[in-house]
Amino acid sequence: MRRLSNSSRAPEFLFRFQLASISGLVFALIFFTAPALLQAQEQSAATISRQVKDVFERVGKAVVKIHGVDEHCEISGTGFFVDPTGTLYTSYTVGGEAGNFTVEFEGKKYPARQVLADIRSGMAMLKVDVATPALPIGKSEQLEVATPVVTIGYPLDLPETPSFGMIAGFDRKYLGRYFSTTHLRVNLPTQRGEAGSPLLNLQGEVVGILVSSLENNSACYALPIDAAEKIRADFVRFGEARHGWIGINVSEAETPVEGSRAEMTKIMEGTPAADSGIKAGDILLQVGRKKVREPEDVLDASFFITAGDTVPITVMRGNEKLTFNVQADFHPASQHPPLIAAPTMNQAIPLKLDSEVQRRP
Amino acid sequence: MNEFDDNEIATLLRLKRHEQPPPGYFENFLHEFHRRQRDELLRQPLWRICMERTHDFFFRLNVSSLTSYPAAVAAVLVCAAVISLRIYQGPETMVAVQSRPELSATADGEGQWTLSSPVATRVFSTRPLRNSSESAHTHLRGSGTPPRYVLDSVPVSYEATFKF
Amino acid sequence: MDKPRTDEDQQLVARTQSGDPGAFDQLVVKYTPRLYGLVYNMTSNHEDTNDLLQDVFSKAYKAIRGFRGKSSFYTWVHSIAVNMTLNFLKKRGRRFQLSLDDVDASIQNDKEFLELTATSSPVREADLSELQRRLNEAMMKLSDEHRAVVTMFHIQGMPHAEISKILRVSEGTVRSRLFYANRQLQNYLDEFRKNPVA
Repeated sequence: MRRLSNSSRAPEFLFRFQLASISGLVFALIFFTAPALLQAQEQSAATISRQVKDVFERVGKAVVKIHGVDEHCEISGTGFFVDPTGTLYTSYTVGGEAGNFTVEFEGKKYPARQVLADIRSGMAMLKVDVATPALPIGKSEQLEVATPVVTIGYPLDLPETPSFGMIAGFDRKYLGRYFSTTHLRVNLPTQRGEAGSPLLNLQGEVVGILVSSLENNSACYALPIDAAEKIRADFVRFGEARHGWIGINVSEAETPVEGSRAEMTKIMEGTPAADSGIKAGDILLQVGRKKVREPEDVLDASFFITAGDTVPITVMRGNEKLTFNVQADFHPASQHPPLIAAPTMNQAIPLKLDSEVQRRP
Repeated sequence: MNEFDDNEIATLLRLKRHEQPPPGYFENFLHEFHRRQRDELLRQPLWRICMERTHDFFFRLNVSSLTSYPAAVAAVLVCAAVISLRIYQGPETMVAVQSRPELSATADGEGQWTLSSPVATRVFSTRPLRNSSESAHTHLRGSGTPPRYVLDSVPVSYEATFKF
Repeated sequence: MDKPRTDEDQQLVARTQSGDPGAFDQLVVKYTPRLYGLVYNMTSNHEDTNDLLQDVFSKAYKAIRGFRGKSSFYTWVHSIAVNMTLNFLKKRGRRFQLSLDDVDASIQNDKEFLELTATSSPVREADLSELQRRLNEAMMKLSDEHRAVVTMFHIQGMPHAEISKILRVSEGTVRSRLFYANRQLQNYLDEFRKNPVA
């Protein structure tokens, strides 16, 4: 026994030495890197905090409080200037159906008038006749899930207030119903009065307009700025939003063709599609700049069509890829007479705005 | 003594009991409390309700807190699995309370995306579900009502279309 | 203000814990007036008080399953109320609004007030509403913690022992805070008497 213990002492000692040195190394590693890691974490946290503060300080002066009067009572919301001549964006819920607007910024109040109210996009534009600061416009298509974002708004009766969060998702629908175009879902806290707030990236560029809240104001939806800019482009050209219409019904194909399951199952009579050369059964690949892979993609594709403009539509017919240039008509919901004379507009979807308006006072 | 002494201060302070809320406030308080409880319940995500109930269940069993937690977590995981399956199948459960059902524009059985109702229908809910300072209106001070601070819980345009 | 019978509270708590919501309702109805006075005199604002009270009962309802009865329900719910109010005040800062609706009429019929005005010259001389306003101002100048003890002792009529349980400080601390607060209030009201136009 003694011999065993003597001879086993050496490897045992070696083992213990190895264990001790490995442990020592590990501890040393932790000891020396942890502060650096912590510091890195602190630094990145400090950087974000600085960036957010920076955005708030730089950009805050272009965000305004909007007062208005609708048919029931006074309302209060938020908006922001997008050009130096006093043009401002807000949500339709603030600027769309009220009047007697006054806009408050830099401690003063100015009267404002509505220049555009577009229910489909959910935005409105007001104008103040004064030289103003303006927010730089970013690109909402560059946003990704978890991109950090900031809003600045006027909650309740409080002064301009920042909020911080991140892009949580890109939603086409909410609780079973579809949006007019993909909306940004943002995880940041909001309060009443903040409809119309700008959604900003950390460079201080506008990437969205806050339009509604969800889940007890713990998150919100924002109209992407690209969508808002499409509306503004229409306004600049025509003085109003011009939603376009081609006249095609899309449904899901059984097997994907060229990556797309969007089958054009019905070409409506008396629409731009009818004369375009597009046939039922064609698989839709692209509308303007928007690629299409499934029927739901048509939502966004449709939103970005302007009535009167010619839209290139790419389809797959059998083995052939074809492109048709189609001049879009006015969307049936926009109560415009059609560009193209259409004897039968039965397929047009009637607008029933008045009867659908139900407000809970 | 021309100064306020302790007794006088004490009496003056006691007189502050007369500072009461407007009449009817206390009677209304319970109603308001119930309303908030209902609102909170509708707002809570199902997993959280399940977690709380599970935790309480183990508490009541008088299991020591150390052992109840793992058991509660296990129970919650099972519940969450069951609930997530159910939620996946039925997203409309929570809708009824807050939105006004105008459209029924989801895909029908044949897999054809068709529109069965108006395009630009507005689902316009002007008051979010929970409104904590609405309760302050139980006793307005008469100096003018505050404006409606706008942030709807439902976006304006809810058209559903796979026509373009 | 009498301390309520603890056995009645115990019963109501037990019933609530076993799932009877009506029992908790009774507790709400019973304690709202008391807690209102406490919270209101700390915040001096009806709206804030209402919101806080709703939150207090909401929190109490959620936490009541864990209530073991180590203290009385009275102490427990007052503790929640005081702590929530102190936290709220810390966040809110110094903004406050007073609502002295219809105070004058009821005070003038108050027995203690009548006695006071009969004997004390400073009170008789000062305009009542102005005096009350000054007192409220003086109260708001106290720190939140001092205002809490003044409210509980003088306005709510709680004994030192009860206050010390609610605030979880010693009775000595409660007494010294009261002493200090009284001095502050006296100084402030004296100043008013000397410079009534200020």
